[in-house]
Amino acid sequence: MHPGVSPLVEIEGLHVHFGDARAVDGASLRVMPGEVLALVGESGSGKTTLVRAIQGLQKPTAGTIRMEGKVQSIFHDPAVQMVFQDPTGALNPRQAVYEIVAEGLRIRGDKGDEVDLVKEALARAGLRPPERFFPLFPHEISGGQRQRVVIAGAMVMEPRLLLADEPVASLDASIRGEILALLRGLVDDHGLAILVVTHDLGLAWNIADRVAVMYLGRIVETGPTEEILDDPQHPYTRALLSVVPETREMEPQILKGEIPDLSRIPSGCRFHPRCPLLQSGTLPEDVAQRCLSDDPGPVPLGAASAAACWPAMATETSTPTTSD
Amino acid sequence: MSGPLLSLRDLSVTYHTSSGPVPAVRGVTLDLARGESLGLAGESGCGKSTLAGAILRLLPEKTVIEGEIVLDGRSVPDLNPGGLRALRWTAGAIVFQGALHALNPVRRVGDQIAEPMLIHETVSSEREARQRTEGLLGRVGLLGARADSYPHQLSGGQRQRVLIAMALACDPLLLIADEPTTALDLMVQAQVLSLLDELQRERDLTLLFITHDLSVLTYACSRLAVMYAGRIVEVGPAWQTFEDGLHPYTRGLAAAFPTIGETSSRMRPSGLGGDPPTPGDLPPGCPFHPRCPLARPECRDAEPELRSSGENRVAACILV
Repeated sequence: MHPGVSPLVEIEGLHVHFGDARAVDGASLRVMPGEVLALVGESGSGKTTLVRAIQGLQKPTAGTIRMEGKVQSIFHDPAVQMVFQDPTGALNPRQAVYEIVAEGLRIRGDKGDEVDLVKEALARAGLRPPERFFPLFPHEISGGQRQRVVIAGAMVMEPRLLLADEPVASLDASIRGEILALLRGLVDDHGLAILVVTHDLGLAWNIADRVAVMYLGRIVETGPTEEILDDPQHPYTRALLSVVPETREMEPQILKGEIPDLSRIPSGCRFHPRCPLLQSGTLPEDVAQRCLSDDPGPVPLGAASAAACWPAMATETSTPTTSD
Repeated sequence: MSGPLLSLRDLSVTYHTSSGPVPAVRGVTLDLARGESLGLAGESGCGKSTLAGAILRLLPEKTVIEGEIVLDGRSVPDLNPGGLRALRWTAGAIVFQGALHALNPVRRVGDQIAEPMLIHETVSSEREARQRTEGLLGRVGLLGARADSYPHQLSGGQRQRVLIAMALACDPLLLIADEPTTALDLMVQAQVLSLLDELQRERDLTLLFITHDLSVLTYACSRLAVMYAGRIVEVGPAWQTFEDGLHPYTRGLAAAFPTIGETSSRMRPSGLGGDPPTPGDLPPGCPFHPRCPLARPECRDAEPELRSSGENRVAACILV
């Protein structure tokens, strides 16, 4: 997909099981340096567990996570930093902004000039002049500024990967744009990569280079943002896109029910019990039978774009569908 | 009965806090026709939830309500406690955001849905209440047996459905939905929106839908009102207002929701910048002028009134 560039993070055949519940069930995914990758899916799709595994907070049951070619261990890597959904919950209300941002440096035992590093991180996060924010407590600044402090606390560690879990979901609509612009700017100006977890496809359209769609522990479709959002191949992606209020040209395909129990993942294609394409009865008999009986497997690692869907693979003969 | 179901005239709501009076709603005039769905949009602190609370008088005791609120022919500020009890649930009911705290965690959801029916005596026996509860649960897409579940046994989407069933317990005329889909996933949000839409049509409900997500409102409502700093700054047909707002604030809010596929918003997130003013400390003149990309010197002088511009459209901006 980017010839000659080696991936920043490579996740291969990752499984994270909690007893019978298969939260991540064979996910494979690459994050390239200098890109924003949007990981999209419903609650219960395994997005958060996958992110925790990348952070080193969750031991994989099977499979590997490589960071710059090295297998990621359970220990926390400072090159990977996290931005949480709710900045108010993520910040210690009794700590001033300076202390919050400096904390990571102190834990790491950083020998550099702390004041300069904190100043630079705050400025990068758009809090200018940074000194003005040093003594302020979280309750003295606005919601948008709080999220900027969270981002500064991550940036001060000079990460190469930022994991952002719904970074604007709890913010007001008007603040959303500036935080997204800030995140995109960090990628463009500082060359880091961002894996942003979201159910907001408009966010992906706003800032993501690529989109990966997760369903029941697996990546079921991946590709460049324009391709995935203009012409999705997987019926699950199509359904998600059709219910975005801003795409009113599409007939909404509201899937019934909720994502199935992770301990009872359906056989055949895991999406088949909710699949509008299968239910429409328009598929050829042999393809429909395959959806019920055979698992299409995860999307192949390293494919530029791919959908784990038998009908999509049957029509798209040009895309290699064999696993690597 | 003819005339609007809900009529607000120059409504102001002021909280009295230890640090002084806070004017949360400042002179709102608005009518809701019977069977209409109106969306009320705005950022945190703009007064939209206070407005909703005032309609059923669900505000802290010392709050001062001025102006008129007439719901189904009754003047809400003048009601005595008995009259208020009779008004709530039957004339108007609220669906809150589906977080756990809107339901009692230690009571079965069926009992919580049946409670207003028994209090309002819209049913004659507990058995009838149970039957009606199961019917309502079925109507919102849950199994009747879910009546025996506790809130923690349900998913976020299921809890939101329970809250909708509860709001419908006494067949209200007005349903106020305050951020009913904010905490929900995209697909569950779509399910809840389409359920509200069906219920509104089949029961001829009047719907007041409150959220900061302008795009959800255009999907769910026929008319849109935009609030800023305690006042309504624009009202108009939903899609027109979303796609081509008259007020610069409406346009800024709408720009936060990109149209997927439109090249102008690809890799270009946009929004207003800045933060909404604190209700206790509003800027002079038009309270939006410090954030307004089109502000002129005279915007600091006086707060603009709503003026009409085109059919069924009004906006409070000197440029309109």
